[in-house]
Amino acid sequence: MSAADSQNVVEVRGVWKIFGTRAEEAHAAIDKQSMSKAEVLDQFGAVIGVRDVSFSVDQAEIFCIMGLSGSGKSTLVRHVNRLIEPTRGQIYIQGADVGGLSSEELRALRADKIGMVFQNMALLPHRSVRDNVAFALELRNVDAYTRMQAADRVIETVHLEGYGDRMPSELSGGMQQRVGLARALAADPDILLMDEPFSALDPLIRRELQDEFLELSRSMRKTTLFITHDLDEAIRMGSRIAIMKDGEIVQIGTPEDIVTKPADDYVADFVKGISRLKLVFAHTVMKPLEQYEQTSGAIPSVDACPTADPEADLDTLVNLAVDHDNPILIMDDGRAVGVVTKDALLRGMQGET
Amino acid sequence: MQKEVDTTAPFREFSEANGNYYASTFLKLQRNELSAWHLNWAAGLGSFIWAALRGNWLLFWISLAVDLIGFTNIALIYKYATAAAQATADGKDYLVTRYENWTNLHTVAAILAFVLGRLLVAWLADRLYYRQYAIWRVDRNHPSGTAMRRVLLALLVVALVAPLTLYRASQFAPDQRTCLKQARAIQDGKQVSFKDRFDCSTISEVPTLVWLKRPVQYEYPRNEDGTRSIVVREQTAKRPVNLNTYASETIDQAITYAKVFYGWFFDGITHWLRVMLNAIEAVFVGTPWPVVAGMFLLIAYSFAGPRIATFVGVSLIYIALFGFWQTGMSTIAIVVASTIICVVVGLPLGIWVGKSRRASTVVTPILDIMQTIPSFVYLLPAVAFFSIGKPPGIMATVIFSMPPMVRLTALGIRQVPESTKEAALAFGANPRQLLTKVELPLALASIMAGVNQVVMMSLSMAVVAALIGAGGLGFIVVEALQNTETGRGILAGIAIALIAMMIDRVVQKANKVEM
Repeated sequence: MSAADSQNVVEVRGVWKIFGTRAEEAHAAIDKQSMSKAEVLDQFGAVIGVRDVSFSVDQAEIFCIMGLSGSGKSTLVRHVNRLIEPTRGQIYIQGADVGGLSSEELRALRADKIGMVFQNMALLPHRSVRDNVAFALELRNVDAYTRMQAADRVIETVHLEGYGDRMPSELSGGMQQRVGLARALAADPDILLMDEPFSALDPLIRRELQDEFLELSRSMRKTTLFITHDLDEAIRMGSRIAIMKDGEIVQIGTPEDIVTKPADDYVADFVKGISRLKLVFAHTVMKPLEQYEQTSGAIPSVDACPTADPEADLDTLVNLAVDHDNPILIMDDGRAVGVVTKDALLRGMQGET
Repeated sequence: MQKEVDTTAPFREFSEANGNYYASTFLKLQRNELSAWHLNWAAGLGSFIWAALRGNWLLFWISLAVDLIGFTNIALIYKYATAAAQATADGKDYLVTRYENWTNLHTVAAILAFVLGRLLVAWLADRLYYRQYAIWRVDRNHPSGTAMRRVLLALLVVALVAPLTLYRASQFAPDQRTCLKQARAIQDGKQVSFKDRFDCSTISEVPTLVWLKRPVQYEYPRNEDGTRSIVVREQTAKRPVNLNTYASETIDQAITYAKVFYGWFFDGITHWLRVMLNAIEAVFVGTPWPVVAGMFLLIAYSFAGPRIATFVGVSLIYIALFGFWQTGMSTIAIVVASTIICVVVGLPLGIWVGKSRRASTVVTPILDIMQTIPSFVYLLPAVAFFSIGKPPGIMATVIFSMPPMVRLTALGIRQVPESTKEAALAFGANPRQLLTKVELPLALASIMAGVNQVVMMSLSMAVVAALIGAGGLGFIVVEALQNTETGRGILAGIAIALIAMMIDRVVQKANKVEM
């Protein structure tokens, strides 16, 4: 099966990035024996930016890469459109090896297939909002009329109607980032690279933009790589999350996986303060029906118990538990499969299942 | 009580010897209780020895200077008293009175230096010593306490500085010509007294240490078929020459060679500069003055608004009333010509310097040199290669005013945020698009500041270039200097200043509007 047949839109295979003039020597040494980031810096004066990273992103998925500053997440995402060249490994976009593209093909890829949003917006201060949005099209020599039409359409999509003729400096931070998003969407790319797009915004605006982006993403079905240092944001946005530390991916999983089954202490430390109400579902906290009946006797009566879906989150279960005294029955296809008692619910919220 | 002792402990630790005195003085200083007339008598008496002992080198140099001034005056008293005695013996009465007056003058100066100077040192001593303490608090390696080896060092310095300085003051120094004659005499094997040789080698110009054989001189007579042959010229003077003469004659030779064999190159440049200048002069000088004045006003009004247009109008009236129109326009023509060349050459160069680290390391020192060399010096090579007239004037002006164009363009290019460039690349910009659509627009403000600087510097150099026949308003100033026609010179100077201000205001204002 060739890579093109799969539905992986972005595939990253064994990518390494070592910065420094002695990167090759460092690679050779690491091939022989594993070395830590500090050792490589000490011996070769080279910095490991990305360390043996592999993952793939499916069509229309929002793939979050989460890590603290210096963990290599921004470096990693710049490999996807080859703003940074990897020292080892390959990146495939819709099956094509990005590393093998000529500079003209690469420019075409960047302009047509990939849109990028930056933390500091990076808008061109001497151009109006519309000209900024139309920038990618202008670079592809699209005629002025067509690109203005396209720009106006996207400006509407990000709810900036009427601001097309303003200069970026006249806009607030949140609005500037909408322009940044519009610019990324203008060429109707398949892939969006979002490099901490909402990190510089204040919390309320951030929340608003997150919601809007989720909505947009649902309707436009863009494959998105979303970089963030905020786990809350990663959980809100991501269908899957990759957690990075020192250039390595520590864990990849759904938000629920990350929160309920952290791979190591580092991840566990991160998820400690995260509210589990919307992340943990009934099937995780329930006790299978047979097991419950063995220890606590038969359930009172199916009609007397509140019922919920296995996919119901803890938030829903809490509401049910508050309204009823009896344990909650978890029904799958009209058949009771498990029981959630109040004790199990409380423990589940704490993180013990 | 215990606390009082603690606060002065560092003072004692710092001053070591005589700790109690400095503890109380520094305490008073900190409390603002020190009398304005507080003097340190030990420092006043010990002068630079005291300063060296305490390691206060600032006070050391001050007190050494004060004492040297005093002793130099004593040496001068000796010098003029001896000269007066000699003049009395020679019966030159007018010299006697002059020398006696000078003797008295230096006596007063010596007394003042020793009394007031030492008082100054005594007054400064504790105050500077406290400064030294403050530095020592931060840096414990800073001199503190007392040390004899510092006194020895100080005495060594004094031994180096004082004897020759005082000897120089007590003698009439021989002039350079006398010493040159002496050098010739020694080369010819004549006897010269030790005192004369000593004076020439220490208290006159630095003696010539390097004597070189005169460089070979060439001539390039033209042959019948138009080619040139190279002939060695007969040497008349066989004497060796000093380094200066050797180097300057070699440079002359090189320039003559370049002019003889590559004259077509310099003539070509001169020709095209003249063509360009003629075209520009046709616009400014050839166009009737009402049209040019109208254009100026219109440009000023549309770019810089009514206030600056009014200023331009008044300036133009001044230039017109005092009869500087044609000369002024020819100065402006030179400025415009050299500005155009500076922008055409400097902009690409600046972009290159801004983008390439290697170009920057090569070009930056050259620009530094170009900016440090005084404007007059540019005239020399311009005349050497391009003879005199307007083209060499433009050449010198271009070289003089190019650096800010290159520098400010490079600065503008470098100041474009890395993230903005990255964004453009991420959307598929190629290098040319990156330059024209991102870097140059973002660097525009800086580039325009460069153009403004170029215009200003061109104007100042265009005036200086009048010395080599570039004409214009500068020529009136040069003429006025030569004929001491101060009034005419001042009027022309005002006209130059007005032209400079007109251009500066309009360009600056136009820049701001664009932003």
